[in-house]
Order: sequence, then structure tokens, then C-alpha cells
Amino acid sequence: MGKITGFIEFKREAPKRRPVAERVHDWQEVYLPFEADKLQKQGARCMDCGIPFCHQGCPLGNLIPDWNDLVYRDRWREAIDRLHATNNFPEWTGRLCPAPCEGSCVLGINDDPVTIKQVEVGIIEHAFDEGWVTAESPAIRTGKKVAVVGSGPAGLAAAEQLNRAGHLGTVFEKADRVGGLLRYGIPEFKMEKRFLTRRLALMEASGILFKTGAEVGVTVPVRTLRDEFDAIVLAGGAEWPRNLQIPGRELGGIHFAMDYLTLQNRRCEGDPVPNADFITAEGKHVVIIGGGDTGADCLGTVHRQGARSVTQFEILPRPPAERDVGSNPWPLWPNIFRVSSAHEEGGAREYSINTTHFSGEAGRVTTLHAARVEMVREGGRVGFKDILGTEHAMEAELVLLAMGFLGPRREGLLTDLGVKLTERGNVWRDASWMTSVPGVFAAGDMQRGQSLIVWAIAEGRSAARGVDLYLMGKSDLPAPLS
Amino acid sequence: MMRVCHLNTCPVGIATQDPKLRAKFTGKPEFVEAFFRFVAEEVREHMAQLGVRTMDELIGRSDLLDVRPAVDHWKARGLDFSAILYRPQVGPEVAIRRVVEQDHGLDKSLDMTTLLPLCREALERREPVDIRLPIRNVNRTVGTILGSELTRRHGPDGLPDDTIRIHFTGSAGQSFGAFVPRGITLTLEGDANDYVGKGLSGGKLVVYPPREATFVAEENILVGNVVLYGATGGEAYFRGVAGERFAVRNSGALAVVEGVGDHGCEYMTGGRVVVIGQSGRNFAAGMSGGIAYVLDPTGDFKRRCNPGMVDLEPLVDPEDVLLVKDLLSRHIRYTQSPVAARLLVSWEETQGSFVKIMPRDYKRVLQAIKKAEESGLSVDEAVMASAHN
Repeated sequence: MGKITGFIEFKREAPKRRPVAERVHDWQEVYLPFEADKLQKQGARCMDCGIPFCHQGCPLGNLIPDWNDLVYRDRWREAIDRLHATNNFPEWTGRLCPAPCEGSCVLGINDDPVTIKQVEVGIIEHAFDEGWVTAESPAIRTGKKVAVVGSGPAGLAAAEQLNRAGHLGTVFEKADRVGGLLRYGIPEFKMEKRFLTRRLALMEASGILFKTGAEVGVTVPVRTLRDEFDAIVLAGGAEWPRNLQIPGRELGGIHFAMDYLTLQNRRCEGDPVPNADFITAEGKHVVIIGGGDTGADCLGTVHRQGARSVTQFEILPRPPAERDVGSNPWPLWPNIFRVSSAHEEGGAREYSINTTHFSGEAGRVTTLHAARVEMVREGGRVGFKDILGTEHAMEAELVLLAMGFLGPRREGLLTDLGVKLTERGNVWRDASWMTSVPGVFAAGDMQRGQSLIVWAIAEGRSAARGVDLYLMGKSDLPAPLS
Repeated sequence: MMRVCHLNTCPVGIATQDPKLRAKFTGKPEFVEAFFRFVAEEVREHMAQLGVRTMDELIGRSDLLDVRPAVDHWKARGLDFSAILYRPQVGPEVAIRRVVEQDHGLDKSLDMTTLLPLCREALERREPVDIRLPIRNVNRTVGTILGSELTRRHGPDGLPDDTIRIHFTGSAGQSFGAFVPRGITLTLEGDANDYVGKGLSGGKLVVYPPREATFVAEENILVGNVVLYGATGGEAYFRGVAGERFAVRNSGALAVVEGVGDHGCEYMTGGRVVVIGQSGRNFAAGMSGGIAYVLDPTGDFKRRCNPGMVDLEPLVDPEDVLLVKDLLSRHIRYTQSPVAARLLVSWEETQGSFVKIMPRDYKRVLQAIKKAEESGLSVDEAVMASAHN
């Protein structure tokens, strides 16, 4: 149970980031390595609560107190086994997950929570270093074939689980490389792509097939999939970005965040993207609209490209430094002002601000017009109203829209399959994760709407069980969600 | 939520003595009130969904239970609950809930009919009384209502020792002398059932076999199981052997007994126990406080003692020797025990046959207190510091 008095003796300590002046000139991860003995002390802080609230924070059902304790006791081999029991890809979640587990850690009631995420990534990297993570081919093949559409974390988790159950999985990816958002959405400085590639190599070695450049519904007819596979898992993500429909939106220099991030990630992969096709912040005044994680990913990328100035907009008010126990009590996800690595690197953050229109010259944006807003509640809905007299303009030669996603792209795959959609526009599924079309399942953002990587993996695992049940009539695969 | 109430590390300051952790306590009585309101409201919602108005209508209605989620849970796979959930078809003449008041017959108890009237002068005017009465095993919890009346009138400190003296002859029923406070001395010539002196709270209990008995007292059971369970104070002298679980959870009583069954002094946290006969196995399991002195002439007690939390030491400390000799003297005075008399007569030889059972944590805390007192430091802080070592 960690050390009984560990939480009293040791303070929370997270790994340090590399100096800003150094890291903005490269694309490597920002965090410095964290020594094993320090990690063990952090594991010792875990109190092994009778009811571990971290469990309800983590959609994967990660057995957090178990492996915190094993790390403290220097039993890394058992720790990785416990971690892999619930999480297919801890090296990704340990880097990318915002850690709702830590938000619900019981120690967080009146102290700093356990560095759960750091322990997680520490375990899996230790395991890779020791050579404990190997390709696992199933002992028996069922002869069933399953197509997984989309190679983000949901699709990959589903594919690996189905492979463990003995089904032959083929992952279809419309891009030229496997990984979905992990590949082209997440910047290199948050997770170096070698960690993606390393895991994918193991998955391929374990018998999972990958087809890239294969866009189902476009280059691969839906009919082919129906004919050649016993089941299909839709894991195509929520790729439809929220737009900002205001005057001047049509001007050049205004881009969706994902288009922008993808191009830089391609260059980081070594692809020769010509300048004419590239979107760069170099030497420009940049405004990022959207104060979330995607916005922060844009921000870090903008810093590295060398912008003249950069400002991030958020329409909501600035959150408090510490959680408001009245409206936002533990164990809810703490709504607090956070400083990500990208924020630490610079740029301004504007809150309670709304962009009213853009203006420009020669078809390119030069100016962004904004106004302060106040939040208004009408019934249960929250709206925003411009505050008169606060209108102002600022230079903007590059505007990045990071305002969230509305759901999956519908045309092609979804329309061809004819699956039912929910009111929100996500793919409808039943309790066994099957869509309205028999034998077609859905997982991840495509059915949940935009969410976290841990939800994606949990969805993929759960859908895999649904597929297994459908194909075999029974299943030993675990399902973290119901 | 935490389930560390026994470790002194409660992180929200509820179940801990550590002042630093206690400072983190932020609870308010209103929270408990709100919690129970929510529980009640949720219960009402469930009842409304079921179309039920009162709790009485719910009793026995296993047909209303939604058991699928529990039965389908993977841990319950293969289990058949139908026997547990079976609902017998009975007519209205068969009651399935309480329909008549329970009658414990307290007004017919020995305490109500006999002891209270006989002890009125002691209760009302603190005058000593001395009574002789027969007792049978249908007389349960003898002395408890008398004790509660004494406490109600004279407070938790009771009355001077031996103010009320009652001498019983016969076989006592369960819980003889349970919870009796200071000022009451119950002597029983005969034997007793289980739970003698349960929760003893300052009173004095003496049990010995009938004078005319021909059996060897120290080889026969005199009092039943779970004697002195949870006792907090007082004294008890048993001229014979006790059953299993003697002085479990004792936190302050002094006792002399001539043999005990299994699990003696389990979970004991305070008080002193002297055993001058055979002990059963698993002695001192979970014993975190108090001290036991056990006679071990054959040297094999160690095998029957649970060493998890205690050390076995020789009886050498003059304070300990004084205490054991004093308790044995009293045992002789109250019970005329020839066993105790022999031990005292040949003390030079018998002292070496005693084993002192000392809880390790208790010893550390006692030493910390002693040290703090000697150097004039805060005893509380010293105890807290030693608790985490």
C-alpha cells in the first residue's frame, strides 16, 4: 500500500521541464527524465484507499494503488503486468492523458495528489528498457476477420484486444501513417513519435495488419469491407471541427488547428512539405482561438516556428488558481488555471473574449476584431454576450481555430454504411457497442464525441468485447465501460 | 473510504490521534445531516418507483430486488441465489415482520425484583449493604441494572469500593456482573456461564467453587467463554479455569485466573492479567496494550503464544514483581486459592516460572512517556512520535 506514512513524509514531485530557452529550438519532449528512486517515493505517497477514487477517475479502470505500491516495493515486473491488464498503451496515456485519476485522488482533498501519471509512464518505460514488452501472438486463431476503421487510440486498442481473442484484425487508415490523432495531431514535443512507432511495430509483429492510405468509403468501398470481414469496428474519430462563422472567415491565413498541426508533424516525420503547402507562424502575429489542449498544442508549435507574437483566446472566464470547493468540489475534475509547457514558453492568454470578425488585405487576414464577453445563463444553457464598448482590434496574420469538434465526418463511410446517428451527430450504438447495422461496431470519439485518449482506449477495449461476443457467443475480454 | 482507521494515518483527520492530521479535519455536523437526508430521499425515490409507501410493505419482498446486475457480475458467475431470494407463499396469518412488541422480561429480572430493593440504602444514602442470595442460571446479566442505577445516581466514578457486597450461591446465567461499576462487589460461590464481567467498569468480581466441592478447582472450568470481554476497569478473581477468549479487548481491568482456553488476551489494549495455570493456544493475538503474566512451569508457553505483536520476557522488573505478588495476595484473600498460596510461599522458585507478555508498541510508548516525563517534555508529542516508528 505504498508506505503507510509516505503521504506525510514525502511531498509531490513531478519531473522538471527542460529550460524554455533550450526547448523552443527543438521538437523533443519537454520533460526531463525522472529518476527511479524519486518515482518510488512518489509511489510511496499512495494511501491504498479502501475505496480508491482514482478508479472512478480513470475510465480504463487502471489498478492505480496496486502499481503505485509495486513501484514503491521495487517490483516493476508485476507493476507492468498490472498496468497492461487494463491499459494497452500506458506509454501514450502516461504522456498525454490529463490524468482525471489525479483529480480524484483522495490525497487531493487537502494535499497534492499522487503523481499517478508519472508512475504510469515510469513503469512502462522501465518495462521497455528491460525488454519485458514483447509482441504477443494469440495461441489460437478463430478464423474470424475484423476490420477496424481508424488507427487512433480507440481503433488500435480494439485491434489489439481482438487480436488477443484470436481474431485477425486489419486496421484501415486513410492517412499515410498509422496513429490517427496520435500521429498527426499530437505535437512531437508532447510525445515523440518514436513511442508510437515502437508500439506499432510490436502490434504488427503480433499479427495485426495495417493498411494505410485506405480511406473506407472513398478509396476502399464499404461493400468490400462488408464482403471480406466478419465484423467492422468504426473508430474514425470526431474530425468535424467547429467553425467560426463570422465575417472575414474566408480570408487567407485562417486555419483549423488540425490542418496546421498535421503539416508540422509531417515535417517532424521528415516529409518534404513544400513551403507553398505549409502553414507557418514564423515572423507572424498569431492568434489561437480556443483555450483547450488543442489550442495549447498549437501554441507550443507556434513558439517553435518563431512567431512575432502569439495570443490564445478563451471565451470562458479565467478559472481560479485553486478549485472552488463550493461549485467544483473533489472528486470532480478540478477546473483551475493550468500552465502547460506551451504556456510556460510564452504568449498571452486572453479570457472572456469573443472574436467578432476578421479584416484583411489582398485576401489575407491582417486584423482580428474582438470584444469582451460576459457569461449569461438562460435556463440551463450558458451563453455569451458582448460587452458594449470593449470592441478592439489586434494584428493577426495567422489565426488558428481550436474550438473543438462537432462529431464524426458523415459523408462517405457513415452514409454508405447507413448507420444511425445520435441527436448530437455521433454514431449510435447499443449496449454491446453495435451500431444500427448488424456486425458493425463503433468506438471512440466517433460514437462518444471528442474526448480523452483514456476514453478512446477504454472504448476500443469495450467494443472489442462486443465484437468478440457477436462472433463467438461468449467472450473473456474485459470491458471497462458498459 | 480509507479503511486505515487502525493505522493512525487518516488523511482527513477523522480516525487519528496525530494532531497534524487532525488539523485537516473539516467536517461539520450539517454534513452528516445532509448525508442522511440524501439517503432518505434516495430511498423514497426507489420506493416511489416500486409503488411502495411504507418500509413495512417492503419487508420480505425479495421479488422487488433487481438482482440481475449482481448475479451477472463476473465475480458471481456460476452462483445460484434462488434459495436465498426464495419467497415462501404464506397466508396473512404468518407474520413476516414485527407485529408484537418484544418483551425482554426485564421487570422480572433478579436486579429489578430483588437487588434494587435490597440495595436502596446504598443507592440513595451511600450506606454499605451486605447481602446473601441464591442464584440460578436463568438469572442473566445479574448486577447490570443495579450498576446502571448506581452510575445514574453517582456518576461514572461510582461509590467507594465494596459499598454494595452481594454474595451469591449457585450457578449464574450469562453475563454475570456485566458492566458493573466501582462500589459493587459480586462474589459467586458456584460457577458461571459465558460473558462474566463483560464490559466490567470498575466493579469487583470474585468467583470460586462451592466450599463443599470435592473436585480440584484449578483443573475445572469455573467461568465460561469470553469472560471480561471489553472490560475497562475493575478487578476479577477466578479460583478456577476460564474458557476461551479470556479478557479479549480488555482495556483496564485487573484479573487473576487459574487457567484459560484459546485466544486469551486477544486484542487486549490495557489492564493486567495474571494466569496461574494452563493457557490455550493463540494467546495475545493482536494484543497491543496491557501486560499479561503467565505461569509457565513446563516452559512451553511460547509455542501457544501468538508472537505477532508481543515479546516474551522474564519476570524481573521489581514493579512487575510487586504487582504480581499483590494480585496473588488479593486472590488468596478473596478466594482462598491454595494455588496462589503455594506460589507465594515458594516465590523464590516460582518467580522464574512466570513469563511476562509485553506488547512491543505498548512498551515503546511506555518508554517514550517515561523519557518525556523525566526530561519534562510533552507526553502527548512523545507518544505521537513513538507511534509512527
